[in-house]
Amino acid sequence: MKKTVDVSIPLGPMHPCWKEPVRIKCETAGERVIRTEVELGYMKKGIERIMRGRPWQEVMFLAERVCGICSVVHNMVFIEAMEKISDIAVPPRAAYLRVVVNELDRIASHILANFSYCYTIEHETLAMYLLNTRETVLDNLERITGSRINTAYMIPGGVRFDLLPEDATALLADLNKVEDEMRRYTRIFETGPLIALRSKGIGYMSREEAIRAHTVGPTARASGVEDCDLRLRHPTYRDLGFTQITRTEGDNFARVMIRFQEVFQSIDLIRKCVENLPEGPIRGGGLCKAGETSYAGEAPRGELTYTIRTDEYGRVLDITIRTPSVMNIEACAHAMITDATSIADVTSTFISSDPCIACNER
Amino acid sequence: MKYLYEKDLRQMKYTILTSTRHDETVRAIARRLEMPDAKLRMILIRRLDMSLLENLESRWQMGREHADQNDQVAQELGCELFTRFIPLVDPDVMRSICDETGRMIGDGSSRDEALAKGRARIREAALA
Repeated sequence: MKKTVDVSIPLGPMHPCWKEPVRIKCETAGERVIRTEVELGYMKKGIERIMRGRPWQEVMFLAERVCGICSVVHNMVFIEAMEKISDIAVPPRAAYLRVVVNELDRIASHILANFSYCYTIEHETLAMYLLNTRETVLDNLERITGSRINTAYMIPGGVRFDLLPEDATALLADLNKVEDEMRRYTRIFETGPLIALRSKGIGYMSREEAIRAHTVGPTARASGVEDCDLRLRHPTYRDLGFTQITRTEGDNFARVMIRFQEVFQSIDLIRKCVENLPEGPIRGGGLCKAGETSYAGEAPRGELTYTIRTDEYGRVLDITIRTPSVMNIEACAHAMITDATSIADVTSTFISSDPCIACNER
Repeated sequence: MKYLYEKDLRQMKYTILTSTRHDETVRAIARRLEMPDAKLRMILIRRLDMSLLENLESRWQMGREHADQNDQVAQELGCELFTRFIPLVDPDVMRSICDETGRMIGDGSSRDEALAKGRARIREAALA
């Protein structure tokens, strides 16, 4: 459909507010943005093709390199998909430790996303505070797994390292510190007049639009989509009494606030796991077998699906990864930014949907 | 509109559409519209941008679950499915196709014949 356009403004691929290269083409009429188009292809890795034909032991390391921000959940979903194919059971202690590491990764990811948003709306003080707190979380990931980002912590039938008592004590102490700091930052965000001006009512996406684009994760939950957190169906999370957080505003403010709220929820989940950590082994037995499955888990940005076909030696014959950013970026371009009142809101709205270009292009 | 720095994205869009899950989706949509896969691929590349193509599978999945739940004729033609979920046809054109098909059925034409004519008009509209 043809539209009258005053000026076409390309944002990116290199932009100071974005962590990764992407180009957004904005068609404007005066200050109003009529529609936007996201142009991809600046960092295609072709990782699915590299994975094909390789044994699971190699694919496991490649999977967590799909994304540098939520690498743990890629590791977890791939391994749980392999376990589903091969009927491998996980000892209860390992299942709880998986939740600890996965939730630490979620906290780090949510804090980074909120840092980016605050940086984009020029609230650099809060942005730097958040980045500082994220370091404490990453230190704990390193203490438990030996690595800050690419942890390779989960393996079929368990995890690689146990949680030592002294590490558990340090983790709980650090969680108290993170919780205190995050409460303060949430209050700053919630009550800041500048933040309200740049966030409330900006980048609105209705529940219907969110469903139509299959929006997932905090982006969907901020628009009031119920029952869209896959942790509700995960046996370990069900065991821990997990409930979904939902907001109804559907704007930039809600998307950032829901991530703040989920950080507190993750802290509570980690505490529950550490305090009720079952005794027993952290690794069971089991061999990876031939089969085919589609398995989804809840990444920090939403539903992450691995569709895998393996042979009798556990070699990955075919693999397709559907990352949450595929849905969220598209919804952002076609629902949140469309008909924006100002070009200045395009960057902040885009960042509020927590886009991961590395995930999107794989 | 013409962009100063415009690239030819056809090859990249084609690469998106030929991945395993996307290929399955394209074949399913082509079967639904009763048209060749290659022709549908061409329409998709021409009409949709890269992020929409990446999200094609999810939108198809959601469209089959949620689109046109109250109207039988609209559901069979994919009234909402091919305008709001997968924007292949202009909404006004689709509305007129649906109304026309409903009228034909009301006037006593065979249901299958009316739906086949409706689908043919959707194909024409998508190709236009």
